[in-house]
Amino acid sequence: MSSNTVPPHRTTAPDFSPLNEMVRHHIESFDHMIDFGLETMVKNIKPVEVFDTAANKKLRNILHFLVFPVVYPPQKDSRGKSTTATLNPFECRQARISYDGKLMMEVCFQYDDSAAVLKETFNFGQLPIMLKSNKCSLRNADPKKLVSLKEEASEAGGYFILNGLERVIRLLILQKRNYPMSFVRSSFRDRREGYTDKAVVIRCVREDQSAVTVKLYYLSNGSARLGFWAQGKEYMLPVGLVLKALADTTDQELYVSLTCCYNGKYERVKGAVGTQLVGERVKIILDEVRNLSLITHKQCLQHIGKHFQQIMHGMHKESHTVVGNAVLKEYILVHLDDNRDKFNLLIFMLQKLFSLVDQTSVPDNPDALQTQEVLLPGHLITVYLKEKLQEWLLRAARELQDEINSGNKSLDSMNLMDIRKVMQRNSSKLIGGSVDNMLKTGRMTTRYGIDLPQSAGMTVQADRLNFLRFISHFRAVHRGASVAGLRTTSVRKLLPESWGFICPVHTPDGEPCGLLNHMTSCCRITSFYDSGGNLKDFFKMRKSILTILIGVGMIPSWPRLVQSALPEVFSVLLDGCVVGTIASNMVEKAVTHLRRLKLSANSMIPDDLEVGYVPLSIGGTYPGLYLFTCPSRFVRPTKNLVPPPTESNNIELIGPFEQVYMEIRCPDGGDGGRKDLGPATHEEIHPTGILSMVANLTPWSDHNQSPRNMYQCQMGKQTMGFASQAINCRADQKLYHLQTPQTPIVRTGTYEKYGIDEFPLGTNAIVAVLAYSGYDMEDAMVLNKSSVDRGFCHGHIYQTESIDLAEKNSRKTRMFRRDGKSSKLLIDSDGLPHVGQTIRPDEPYCNIYDADTNHTRSQKLKGTEPAIVDYVAVDVKNKKHLQKVNIRFRRQRNPVIGDKFSSRHGQKGVCSQLWPDIDMPFSGVTGMRPDLIINPHAFPSRMTIAMLLESMAAKGGCLHGKFVDATPFSSSLKKTDEKKTSESNTLVDELGSKLTALGFNYHGVEVLYSGVYGTELTCEIFIGPVYYQRLRHMVSDKYQVRSSGRVDPLTRQPVKGRKQGGGIRFGEMERDSLLAHGAAYLLHDRLHTSSDHHIADVCSICGSILTTSVSQPQKRVVREIAGIPPGRDPKKVACVACKTSKGMETVAMPYVFRYLAAELAAMNIKLTLQLKNEAGA
Amino acid sequence: MDGVASYQRFPTVKIRELKDDYAKFELRNTDASIANALRRVMISEVPTVAIDLVEIEINSTVLNDEFIAHRLGLIPLTSERAMSMRFSRDCDACDGDGQCEFCSVEFHLRAKCLGDQTLDVTSKDLHSSDYTVVPVDFSDASGYENSETRGIIIVKLRRGQELKLRAIARKGIGKDHAKWSPAATVTFMYEPAIHINQEMMESLTLAEKQSFVDSSPTKVFEIDDETQQVKIVDSEAYAYDDEVLKKAEAMGKPGLIEIYAKEDSFIFTVESTGAIKASQLVLNAIDILKQKLDAVRLSDDTVEADDQFGELGAHMRGG
Repeated sequence: MSSNTVPPHRTTAPDFSPLNEMVRHHIESFDHMIDFGLETMVKNIKPVEVFDTAANKKLRNILHFLVFPVVYPPQKDSRGKSTTATLNPFECRQARISYDGKLMMEVCFQYDDSAAVLKETFNFGQLPIMLKSNKCSLRNADPKKLVSLKEEASEAGGYFILNGLERVIRLLILQKRNYPMSFVRSSFRDRREGYTDKAVVIRCVREDQSAVTVKLYYLSNGSARLGFWAQGKEYMLPVGLVLKALADTTDQELYVSLTCCYNGKYERVKGAVGTQLVGERVKIILDEVRNLSLITHKQCLQHIGKHFQQIMHGMHKESHTVVGNAVLKEYILVHLDDNRDKFNLLIFMLQKLFSLVDQTSVPDNPDALQTQEVLLPGHLITVYLKEKLQEWLLRAARELQDEINSGNKSLDSMNLMDIRKVMQRNSSKLIGGSVDNMLKTGRMTTRYGIDLPQSAGMTVQADRLNFLRFISHFRAVHRGASVAGLRTTSVRKLLPESWGFICPVHTPDGEPCGLLNHMTSCCRITSFYDSGGNLKDFFKMRKSILTILIGVGMIPSWPRLVQSALPEVFSVLLDGCVVGTIASNMVEKAVTHLRRLKLSANSMIPDDLEVGYVPLSIGGTYPGLYLFTCPSRFVRPTKNLVPPPTESNNIELIGPFEQVYMEIRCPDGGDGGRKDLGPATHEEIHPTGILSMVANLTPWSDHNQSPRNMYQCQMGKQTMGFASQAINCRADQKLYHLQTPQTPIVRTGTYEKYGIDEFPLGTNAIVAVLAYSGYDMEDAMVLNKSSVDRGFCHGHIYQTESIDLAEKNSRKTRMFRRDGKSSKLLIDSDGLPHVGQTIRPDEPYCNIYDADTNHTRSQKLKGTEPAIVDYVAVDVKNKKHLQKVNIRFRRQRNPVIGDKFSSRHGQKGVCSQLWPDIDMPFSGVTGMRPDLIINPHAFPSRMTIAMLLESMAAKGGCLHGKFVDATPFSSSLKKTDEKKTSESNTLVDELGSKLTALGFNYHGVEVLYSGVYGTELTCEIFIGPVYYQRLRHMVSDKYQVRSSGRVDPLTRQPVKGRKQGGGIRFGEMERDSLLAHGAAYLLHDRLHTSSDHHIADVCSICGSILTTSVSQPQKRVVREIAGIPPGRDPKKVACVACKTSKGMETVAMPYVFRYLAAELAAMNIKLTLQLKNEAGA
Repeated sequence: MDGVASYQRFPTVKIRELKDDYAKFELRNTDASIANALRRVMISEVPTVAIDLVEIEINSTVLNDEFIAHRLGLIPLTSERAMSMRFSRDCDACDGDGQCEFCSVEFHLRAKCLGDQTLDVTSKDLHSSDYTVVPVDFSDASGYENSETRGIIIVKLRRGQELKLRAIARKGIGKDHAKWSPAATVTFMYEPAIHINQEMMESLTLAEKQSFVDSSPTKVFEIDDETQQVKIVDSEAYAYDDEVLKKAEAMGKPGLIEIYAKEDSFIFTVESTGAIKASQLVLNAIDILKQKLDAVRLSDDTVEADDQFGELGAHMRGG
């Protein structure tokens, strides 16, 4: 291979911004939480009150939770020193501690209703800090700085370090917020008598990201119920009651607003959603309220208040009206503040529900990306923290109240210090710890439920097996654990709605298939920050959107209630608020106008505004104009074709909701199979935009059978590669490392874009495709031993052993010290091993001296394979008493028979032989011998054409000294230069002519000679370089051998498990096959002799095996005769039951049989054996 | 033995090209088995000297000990003396622990980077205890500066890093480990015999002739400027790819050209790693091949031959 050409990307400093882009949504959401989210959240925490009745003056302490959440950047344990040093992430990894900062907040106290607010600062413990967030020391560090902080130069952050482990918050799919979705679900029927399976459900999200889901059920009598969860119970209110409580209207007004969706002249017209039945239903709804003898707005409010007083905290003294209002505020359509807005939305939801019932619109698909959004890390933590803080506050108040009520004299309710002391009985520091624990385990312990689909598995460990696996953790979106258990497969289906957002290729096989998806490389998640990194002002944004909408002809719903409806006018919903209506002939113009404004930088319209225009249809999705500005939506860039090409910005961000109704054409300029629809308004930027980053790395994946690309996405993430450049500053449990990585000759554009050269994953191997020696059958492959000798696919495993003496012993009596007995070769004078020393199994690698017992214990190497001490990291925080060390071991893993390899096309194989160089076939012209032989049968059924192309291209590429671009779908791009018009060449032609130019066969085949016989092989052999990955599955970690060893003490059968040195189960099916073969002796050997063979004493008189006992005979004093072993005393065995040793016999049996007898005896079942001597022996 | 035609042949070697690390020669009057045996011996059984044991004293470099030891092993050492050296496992003078001049050569390497510039530790930093066994010097006689004149890079050091080690080189063969293989490439091909049916060729137009000539990816044929006949320029450039045969077939003229491999003549190409000269490599290989044959012949009439070769012994005796 020519090596004198310097790759061009080496000359310039690598640009890691595309990589940072991959994890941006994690960091941005966390940043927002720190900067603004916490403050908004604490404002939304309900204040609690404590009454001091004992004091003569009527005293009231208002514990007002408030203000000023401050998160401090992570700092080292200062131990009272005034100066604190910043804690760096690498130190956390090495010391196995958490990267967290102090969370301080002020609690406000107010006595009675006095204006004076007293503040007390409380410490809320340590909050884990996300790497590269604005509280992290790596923020804004350039690659050089990152390296000096012992990180990767390309470190992108986005994860947490907890006890030295890196964990990522899993992105969960949630129902799209603030969008009323129509559902048909049979489980709704079980709610109560009279419920149907239809409902409209809206997940309302407050400003602080906490959510309340409200369901509007349809009843078989035509009425509807509004259901919401409070305190772990679902409450259903008649919708008329809620409507009346929300707005002070007349029945007439209500009737008109609800029935306006039906108009007789629009029967069976596009978009006619209402039917005659609507009027009947509204009557029933109104009657229901009247039957409760509730007429006025006030009566309705009081009715609600009366029934909910019990569950509203701290409101048992308030009037019913206040409580009623509080219920509306806290549980019903919480994303809206104004009751009139809520009223309008509820009207809209009712109309949608009726349309669903009348089948004038279809239910929304909850499995489609259209109706989904994603749970971001910052939001999860905010919501969890809110719950925990509220809980703490309530508990503190209860504690305080109890204390006051008990009449404790020492407590002065006017003294804040006293109050603080009482409140701290529930240490506020535990709050930070609970978040830490949630991130560590992924499990949430919530009291009231925080409207999330699952409470476990919220986080995953971001293992750095290799770079692809690591980065994929940030791009993965999970459908939720609740769906994983379902037997239906519809949720796993790849829906067309996910086009461009979810990668169709990158999903694991098997159990999580289709549930654990990955975002495409260009997919982003909206956040609170705009592209410039400035905080979005949602209030201003919505206001300007409203102004623009009114400008294009929208009639605002303020100040009067909506009285007209589809199909004449569209309702306009902005972030779940019915802001007005727009005439249906003006909608399209308005949409185009809004899209145009999205592109311009100066307008107040955010560039990620989702303009969900659902057009009129007959029996389609419920029409409307739905606008979304909120965070945590999926967006992706497309080219807008409307503005003239001269305009600088024509890249529009679109979301999955609007995409369905948009005309987006393929970048090749063709119509993409669309027929006589309107002209396309948008164009895809690049066809690779539909693939995830990992899927994009497969060269020419458009030439492969699609499952093969899926397999490659799997295997790419199991590859032993160059996991980390800062390997010496890390203390991972297990790290795989390829010693001799190479950059692929054939690569896609993505490879360079994301700088995968920083973390290469394989080697270019010369691969010959032929059946040679039979050792390449069935996906086995023959490796060239000499290539392996020269370093082909050599690798290491790094394993870190952490020894913390302080763990179980706080008195620090233990220390590292070498004792006299241990070998000085293995252990240094400090009790720790020498770096570079090979340690064999069961040899000690460190000495621990315990001053209490004056005894030295040595830690021994486990396993069956020697290891080399790579590094000994010492915790220097405690200089006098060394308590904690990390010892990193290194094990060589050079290719051996049984190791797994794979090309980048889902073609995996196991090394079956290491042939010497001389036995490999060779080319007569060049003398080239292949590194690797695979069988031609690997191709016909799998159709991995790209692998053949790769081989041809790499052959040409390496002789030309150039990398070959293998970006998939490049033929689907519009040809900008016209030089290609003349040749209608296929890719193969292009590659083939390159080869002929170099004197090679057009098809990439060569004449090879047998290495064994020296004769020409009868056919030409396809040979060329292919990028091969070494997978992490290696025999050295898996092989299991046993002749004898540990047995289970209960059954005396061999134990299982490789670690224990156990055996492999010889199960029932294996037994059956031996039976079928009649291999009786082998069967006896496996199942009895080599298992729990046992000779039992049986009493032939009573037939019991349990009542026999061995009596120790008196030791006779016998002079031992030298050389001859002393004669064994005959065992004295007697039956305890029969009190005789007469009928004793010995019988060989499995020990479990004896165990069975004992178990039966415990159940009062006697088991007797009848002994017979049939053989006569 | 009389009456039976003798199979004895007298192979000849004609040297075409000979450089220090490259040789090209013809081997005639023998068959593929001999040619392949020679190839195999050259690659895997001609002994050289290579570093086999490394004692690392200080290693604060970025590469770990095994990696450096592996890299050291792959450095070619001048091994003219290898044929006369002993395998350390057969050495009587020592136990192969590197103390003995008959079977081993000791190397020392000591490098420390003191400046800010990256220091390359190369094969030139290896100091041998024996001037006959040193890392191969790739610097060209012409003396032009290239990366190879600096030697083979072992590791790069930055300020403060240090490498200090003692290495013992031993004699070995490529069969045991590729580092002992003296041959970078040894290959042979059958000499092709190409016959152009000029009569039929004349029936082609010039354009057809040209396309016929161009159909071979390697330059085998040419059109004579004067006679406009297709002639053979370099028959050995033919890689048995059958492209021209297929072309002739496609033109509807099978038999336009006939190519067959001469079964008894081979063109060898030998490239050496530099450990021994290419010419020496061939000679050594022949010596070793002879020794191996001797080993078979010597045990021919002994009783052990039966034990050693089983039925093969009987065959060899003509039974």
